[in-house]
Amino acid sequence: MQAMPQLLSDSWQSLRVWRVWMFLGVQDIKARFRRSAIGPVWILLNMSLFVVGAGVLYGVLINQPMKVLLPYLVTGFALWGFVVSSLTESGWAFVNAEGYIKQFCYPKQIYLMRTLVSSTIILLITLPAIIPIQLFFRSFSIVGWLLAVPGLFLLMLAVLGHITVCAYLGVRFRDLPHAANGLLQVAFFVTPVMFPAKLLQERHLALIYQVNPFYYLLEVARHPILQGELAAPETYAFAGLYILLVWVFAGLVARSLDSRVVILL
Amino acid sequence: MRDIYLRLHDVGMTFEGQIGGQDGLKSWLTRRFFRDPATPQRYRVEALKGINLDINQGERVGLMGLNGAGKSTLLKVLAGIYPPTAGLVERRGHVCPMFEFATGFEMNQSGWDNIRIRGLLLGMPQDEIESKLQEIAEFTELGEFLSYPVRTYSSGMFIRLAFAVSTSINPEILLLDEVMAAGDIRFAEKAKKRMVEFMEQGKILVFSSHNTELLSTFCERTIWLDKGQVVADGPTKEVTAIYRSMAAQ
Repeated sequence: MQAMPQLLSDSWQSLRVWRVWMFLGVQDIKARFRRSAIGPVWILLNMSLFVVGAGVLYGVLINQPMKVLLPYLVTGFALWGFVVSSLTESGWAFVNAEGYIKQFCYPKQIYLMRTLVSSTIILLITLPAIIPIQLFFRSFSIVGWLLAVPGLFLLMLAVLGHITVCAYLGVRFRDLPHAANGLLQVAFFVTPVMFPAKLLQERHLALIYQVNPFYYLLEVARHPILQGELAAPETYAFAGLYILLVWVFAGLVARSLDSRVVILL
Repeated sequence: MRDIYLRLHDVGMTFEGQIGGQDGLKSWLTRRFFRDPATPQRYRVEALKGINLDINQGERVGLMGLNGAGKSTLLKVLAGIYPPTAGLVERRGHVCPMFEFATGFEMNQSGWDNIRIRGLLLGMPQDEIESKLQEIAEFTELGEFLSYPVRTYSSGMFIRLAFAVSTSINPEILLLDEVMAAGDIRFAEKAKKRMVEFMEQGKILVFSSHNTELLSTFCERTIWLDKGQVVADGPTKEVTAIYRSMAAQ
């Protein structure tokens, strides 16, 4: 009835108290690494191990030069991790904040923003890992990184949409994060993360990535970082279209569940 | 100065759900597509029914009633934590809820960080928290334990921490749910004193209690709830008198 205006004013109020969710998001990251000796370096270390291992093997398997494949893998993997966490971990965004939601008055959308903050921080830790690799292969381009900003912004919009959908549905259906995990593992194999899209094209399987929204989400940020130029206009268009759909869906989900979240927790 | 008020128009709160088992994807699908007659029994509790209230600036209101009468639910509706399933809530003023002292902690973070988080969530600006940090810490008497992760705390220590933070803010609308008994004897004395000071600051105070003595000290007006409905609403003396005579029967 009056769910939508309520939702909008709550969301607006949430944005205004950005200090609160910023602080919570940063605290989450600090807490995660509090008792580890090297902290966030673990993220980098794990990724480097993966990239060196997978990169060398895949380079031989799919016959790609290291110079191209290694930066491609690191970029894709960092961005993919961002997308995955927005569809899996964020299913717990409200569930984990139960103690807060039930006793403090802030609109619950601040816990969505908190999740966005902490996963963005993780992305910001992993992305710079590309730079030494690019420098090593002499393919680093500062222009490319700047041109990736609009793409990264789009990616964040998509991720916020994902977080909203999953957080609300995650309260109602507690199995969701587990199911999403499984589905995303399949998605990982059909999305050009570990292999270049060209490879599918050459085998007349281009459709596999052309109908895959994740491909466009990755490309809007990955292409500029790697190629030093903006991605193709249609890539932005498809990414934008997907974001629009996700947000519409998020709005519908939020509208029907918003007033029930606190009761379902 | 702006007016501060709480108004409820015909507010109802109904809880619905499934008895036993999980109300998850499976039961949602069966209900949705198969109209399965064998779906598990569902419950429907009307926690509040047709509540009309008008609480204005300067009022101190007590809530009375047996367990399950709807006192906590009403407080949560007033705070905006529960969106009412019927009716309308109008609220002007910053609400400070004090409902639970045992939940809402980040277990792996230190006492200091939990003070900061709690302060923020209660609506304190960051610089105000930093300036009050020492004072809050002293009041908790937790000393070096504040640097420990709070998962090492005992339940009494949680209460001390939460109580100290909650009572350090400047409340406009103060909602309290049966929170007078905090901590051990020594702390309880201190807490009581601070609570009195704190309650006097609030421009509107609504608190639930079973202690009629406490209600008569603080509140000129008392509301008696039973089965989610207002039974009596008036001067504390009169309402507690009726309540006592009813309870005696």
